[in-house]
Amino acid sequence: MKKKQLLKEKTSNGVRKVGVVGIGHTKFGNLSDYELVDIMAYASLNAMEDAGIDGGIDQVIVGNMGAGMLNHQTGIESALVSTLNLEPAMAELVSNGPASGSSAFKMGYMAIVSGMVDVVLVTAGEQMRRVTGWEATDFVATLSHPEVEYPYGLTLPAFAAMFTRAYMAKYGLTERQLSLIAVKDHLNAEKNPFAHVQLPVTMEGIADSCHASVVNSYVSEPLRLYHMCPVSDGASSVVMCAMDGAARFKKKPVRIAGIGSATDTHCVHNRKDPLDLKAVRLAAEMAYKMAGIGPQDISFAELHDAFVILELCLAEEVGFFEKGKAIEAAEKGETEVSGRLPINPSGGLKAKGHPVGATGISQIHELVKQLRSEAEKGRQVKNPKYGLAINFGGFGNNVVATILAKE
Amino acid sequence: MNIAYELEMKLRPPQKEMLPYPAKFITMASGEKMVIRQAKREEIPLLLEVIEPLIKVEKDFYDIVAARFYAELLGFFRYRVRDEYCLVGTIDGVVTSICNGRLVNDDLGMSYHTMTIKRGLRCGAQMFAAKMEYHIEILNQKEVFIVAESPIGFRRWMIEYQLEPRFHVQHELGGVPTYVLTRDLYFAAKERLVTGTRPVPEELLKTSDTLILPEEYPQIPGWHR
Amino acid sequence: MYRVDKNVYAYKCPKCGQLHYPAPMRCKKCGYRRYPEQEIEPNFQREGYKPWEKTPLKGSCKLLTYTRLWNLPIGFDQRYLDFGLVEFENGIRASGRLLVDKPKIGMKLNVRVGKIKEFYGKVCYGLQFVKS
Ligand SMILES: CC(C)(COP(=O)(O)OP(=O)(O)OC[C@H]1O[C@@H](n2cnc3c(N)ncnc32)[C@H](O)[C@@H]1OP(=O)(O)O)[C@@H](O)C(=O)NCCC(=O)NCCS
Ligand SMILES: [Zn+2]
Repeated sequence: MKKKQLLKEKTSNGVRKVGVVGIGHTKFGNLSDYELVDIMAYASLNAMEDAGIDGGIDQVIVGNMGAGMLNHQTGIESALVSTLNLEPAMAELVSNGPASGSSAFKMGYMAIVSGMVDVVLVTAGEQMRRVTGWEATDFVATLSHPEVEYPYGLTLPAFAAMFTRAYMAKYGLTERQLSLIAVKDHLNAEKNPFAHVQLPVTMEGIADSCHASVVNSYVSEPLRLYHMCPVSDGASSVVMCAMDGAARFKKKPVRIAGIGSATDTHCVHNRKDPLDLKAVRLAAEMAYKMAGIGPQDISFAELHDAFVILELCLAEEVGFFEKGKAIEAAEKGETEVSGRLPINPSGGLKAKGHPVGATGISQIHELVKQLRSEAEKGRQVKNPKYGLAINFGGFGNNVVATILAKE
Repeated sequence: MNIAYELEMKLRPPQKEMLPYPAKFITMASGEKMVIRQAKREEIPLLLEVIEPLIKVEKDFYDIVAARFYAELLGFFRYRVRDEYCLVGTIDGVVTSICNGRLVNDDLGMSYHTMTIKRGLRCGAQMFAAKMEYHIEILNQKEVFIVAESPIGFRRWMIEYQLEPRFHVQHELGGVPTYVLTRDLYFAAKERLVTGTRPVPEELLKTSDTLILPEEYPQIPGWHR
Repeated sequence: MYRVDKNVYAYKCPKCGQLHYPAPMRCKKCGYRRYPEQEIEPNFQREGYKPWEKTPLKGSCKLLTYTRLWNLPIGFDQRYLDFGLVEFENGIRASGRLLVDKPKIGMKLNVRVGKIKEFYGKVCYGLQFVKS
């Protein structure tokens, strides 16, 4: 197809429109028997099959956080292209901690918008289970400041726990209320074939029974095991293209309506207000503005709930609820799949799993699946128009917001 | 009396009277109730069947644990191990996890193995805790010798219970460095790690009367009994 | 040489006086640049450059939030560790090891520098928050 022709379809501000035409996903969980690049290739092939193509990729973008550390392998973008036999497609690696996936997606979008390429394969993957739990915890903790945070033994769960403690003190949130979010997420994940933990948990089991404090023990007080994500392996992939070239693919494209991203201080202690997740707010505002919509237009969202507290706070920061009020909506069932504003119908990071670098694309995979009405029974959001994903890097120091729309 | 029988009686170790482990139940995260009770000798053949498929699973050292567990229970069943016991955890009668050990003397326990079949619910952690409870609280022993044969075991036992390293003593399982659970360590960890309700309501206890073999093993994808 | 500096410092911008912890390469308020050679080269000088002033983090502080972490990363063999996030009187905030029995948000603490980690024989020093 000629470039000139492709550049015809633009939004009002003169930018080329981009859509997602194929999605792929591996099961999340312990995939340590497989090679990382094979895991990513698997998701990529699923995405290409879904798009109905076998090649024709101009550019491959890989999202990954830690292959160098976890797999002792670098250059995975070239390895991926090669095992897929897609040479001479261009290939780059994009890394942004646990938000690597969404950042890779953003770069894919930018590549197409620029007019340089037409078809991009974005694949994000991570393999965290080849190392022990201690090493995985340490690996994620290397995101923190190497002088004033990391050497103390501070980890991401510890930062999340301190955040939760402050939030509880300010808004009166309880541990039991956190468990409510976990129960909802696990319920959704049970119906998601890709989810790491397909186990429905109950309030009795994780909060109310007299055995719960042992069964659901503290990881970092006040956060307990079922208040956070497991350590997972997995990959997810999407094929994106210029909207005006979308007709040649098997499925109708899902349009990228808005993307935003923002950074915040590296050290958590340097935020003006320890409870302020400014980067989330800014990223979301940017994405809303680009999409020309507001929070009230969003039909459902995938929010980065590596710790369930984040599902609440992110929902507040992106404007769904007033500060401190998200839990009320959750208690009323508004965020369940059948509710007014479903959140994490995939099961979220909490139960679907969190192979750090893969998560962003996995969220986008879910947005596409929902917007195409292809989600499994009991998990499909009713008639969605706009889906929002928030992918949270570091402890909120590099955040990407993505809005997809049904065409 | 025939010679073979007489000889067999000579080969059999004397067996100490052991206080039985009083059954308890734990509400798991899923809300399911896991009953933990002592396995009876006549149930061992079934438990051997539970273990057998795992003997060739390399991942997470299931092979080592399963092969040794099998041998230990066989030794117990055919009267070749002295003062051994086995605890079994069931959900709706299905065996989810098992653990075993032995009494060296009144004061010293020897922890052998803990194995989880159903994964994701952390049944294994509860079984190990039950085993420690048995040695320290029920049998009133002073110490338990423990080794770990997999990294997961190391994290679960050595780190969770802050076990005391005592590398100059030899555990019965062989070369692996020995760690020790003392009464003090047990009671320090108890609140966080040991739970369960007794007595088990009759109806619930009944569900575990007849042990049921697991149909599938998450450790062996595609396997079906 | 080989002597460990048992202080943890905040860095003051010589131009506008803004305090920073940890030291940035550029002032967050006025953009003034920092040359890290000032830490490394004993006689470092540069025309027109005023070195950033180091002030030890000390005195009393207020506990903003805290946690007890039970799953430590590799390199730590304690069963758990307590951490806190505090604010000093000069407005500087920091995270560090918390060494009090019954922590409470808002409580007054004192800071000291102590061992926070030992890894293959290498000792790391850092902030410890203790009862005031
Ligand atoms: C919570 C945590 C400490 C538990 O680790 P662990 O005790 O070593 O758990 P294991 O890996 O032994 O898990 C055993 C089983 O429990 C389940 N499980 C583990 N963590 C779980 C969780 N958080 N929620 C629900 N189930 C969980 C899984 O089913 C797992 O089975 P698998 O081996 O098939 O995956 C660990 O999951 C963790 O550190 N999570 C946070 C990760 C993180 O910080 N990510 C980055 C955020 S930006
Ligand atoms: Zn300045």
